[in-house]
Amino acid sequence: MRFASRALAAVALAAGVGAALAADPVKIGLSGPFTGGSSSMGVSMRDGVRLAVSEINKSGGVLGRQIVLVERDDEAKNERGVQIAQELINKEKVAVTVGFINTGVALASQRFYQEAKIPVMNNVATGSLITHQFDDQAENYIFRNAAHDSIQAPMVVEEAITRRGFKKVAILADSTNYGQLGREDLEKALALKGIKPVAVEKFNIKDVDMTAQLLKAKEAGAEAVLTYGIGPELAQIANGMTKLGWKVPMIGSWTLSMANFIDNAGPGGEGARMPQTFIQEPTTPKRQSFIIAYLKMFSPKNNRIDSPVSAAQGYDSVYLLAAAIKQAGSTDGPKIKAALEDLKTPVEGVVTTYNHPFTAKDHDAITANIPVIGEVKGQRVVYAYPDDQKKASEVRVKDPNAKGALTIQK
Amino acid sequence: MQILTQLVFSGIALGMIYAVIAFGYQLTFATSDTLNFGQGDALMLGALVGLTLVEKLGLNYWLMIPLVCVFGVLQGALVERIGVRPALKIKSEFGWIMSTIALGIIFKNVAENVWGRDDLKFPSPLPESPLHFLGANILPMEILVVVGAVGMMLAVEVFNRRSIYGRAVVATFNDRDAAKLMGINTGLVITFSYALSSLSAAFAGVLIAPLTLTGATMGAVLGLKAFAVAIIGGLTSGMGIILGGVILGIAETTTGFYISTGYKDVPGLVLLLIVLAVKPAGLFGKTAIKKV
Repeated sequence: MRFASRALAAVALAAGVGAALAADPVKIGLSGPFTGGSSSMGVSMRDGVRLAVSEINKSGGVLGRQIVLVERDDEAKNERGVQIAQELINKEKVAVTVGFINTGVALASQRFYQEAKIPVMNNVATGSLITHQFDDQAENYIFRNAAHDSIQAPMVVEEAITRRGFKKVAILADSTNYGQLGREDLEKALALKGIKPVAVEKFNIKDVDMTAQLLKAKEAGAEAVLTYGIGPELAQIANGMTKLGWKVPMIGSWTLSMANFIDNAGPGGEGARMPQTFIQEPTTPKRQSFIIAYLKMFSPKNNRIDSPVSAAQGYDSVYLLAAAIKQAGSTDGPKIKAALEDLKTPVEGVVTTYNHPFTAKDHDAITANIPVIGEVKGQRVVYAYPDDQKKASEVRVKDPNAKGALTIQK
Repeated sequence: MQILTQLVFSGIALGMIYAVIAFGYQLTFATSDTLNFGQGDALMLGALVGLTLVEKLGLNYWLMIPLVCVFGVLQGALVERIGVRPALKIKSEFGWIMSTIALGIIFKNVAENVWGRDDLKFPSPLPESPLHFLGANILPMEILVVVGAVGMMLAVEVFNRRSIYGRAVVATFNDRDAAKLMGINTGLVITFSYALSSLSAAFAGVLIAPLTLTGATMGAVLGLKAFAVAIIGGLTSGMGIILGGVILGIAETTTGFYISTGYKDVPGLVLLLIVLAVKPAGLFGKTAIKKV
């Protein structure tokens, strides 16, 4: 009996070691808000990541190992993000981490990864500072494949001032880091066109009445409202305009594509325009297969991805990291980072084809030439300009010399 | 002038939202000298239950209201039985504060698990296009909130003044021990007041939900603002609550417009501090002299 149990233990041990040698999974951390006002972005991003991981695992994983996701809900709270970062690094020992929707959470959390030399791929958070937080250090482990605010704000201004010809615009931004940093970028981009906003107003998360802000914009003679906020409050702005019987175009950061803006604003949200890196249209074979696979796996309401941009960028972020791990031949943080900064084989993603997306100095994969302007139409986001849609099958690739981005000052 | 009218209208609508919630504070204070700090969460539960009835069961908005009120009654009675009664029994001065806050947090967590944490749209029972009135715009739903709030308060005032049960409520407030000696079941009266207070919160929830958004966190900010309204207006006066709400609402919208939207919450809170310093019973409250 004793022998039997010992033998069993020995076999079990051997089996355990054997399995570890053969296919110790690669752990990828995933941090994002899956609940709360940012959740339509967080959940879409998570689902995009899950889809990519399941595809990679089906075709044999990376380095012959399966990928295991360690998902954590950071609730869009800085302090939760910090706890999660420490847990993922010290307890779960992840090889890399993807995620972050909220700029504040990203800025608070990523210094732990930086210290632990674990690469982070920001796939949604847009704060300009994110990839430049550690510019003063020799090595930077923070990467991003989302369109940052220094691209988005000038795009919003370009759309409002140059393409639509508005002379007087008002800015409405929420009081969070995201809203206020975005407001600064908008003001800078407007100044480059020699325009000063006629009104700059603030609102708080959970505000239910926007009368004062909108009346000020209206009285100042604004022809358009430029926004920087998230879904629920943006919807209150649209509803407030309906109430005041004052309808001017809303043009703002990409959050105007969030499902909780579109659903809560209803008819008031129609016509809102925003920069998008991805629009849910099967314009290339890759995008088509992504959309079909996503809808099949997660079946979202009305076949509309809640936040198509987040889903696509989440999906791409995993493929970028998988390519880097493959090239590095290891899950060692510094080696993956080095591989990311010098990716030899192009990665065909949903947003774009990533051909040398990063260098040692440049950790942003998306440049100003990639996003297009989207518009809310019939409760979905579509291409605002037919020209963009016609040319959508030509994938726009990174152009480090693309004009239109603000220079980032730290 | 037109602007001012619009600001005042929006302020009144906003203030009435605060007032209907604040009214719930006043109801329980009037019988037991205690407050349900989970008032904002009672409001949130009412709104979410209402939303489920409308969306999942396809009930008509107006038919749903009585059911939500019944839910409010049960929820309020539960809060009183679990949270407040034990504290009153041992004459604890502060026990009920902790327990009502704790219950509020529990309700919020339950709601997050049942309904998720996203903000949902509550379908409006009235047309969503604004009406024009004195050169300003107002939503039909805002009028309904004002009418509903005033109606509810009148109903409760009439009940308190005219009916024998109402007199029991007033008697319990005036002197709980004497009322008990007179044969009034004060325990039941207090339970009743909590049930009524949560009923009003649940009713307020479905009333304002089409204007605000509906979600597990909707109660937090509104509950706090309503508390300020209750202090400004006076916890002993139903009329004071309405006026307090209107004052705070108009203060917010006009400050937002004439001074800065960044400071719109400040004047209301400054007013709160002034009221507490000068007239602690509230602008319209009766100063009670407590003999020890």
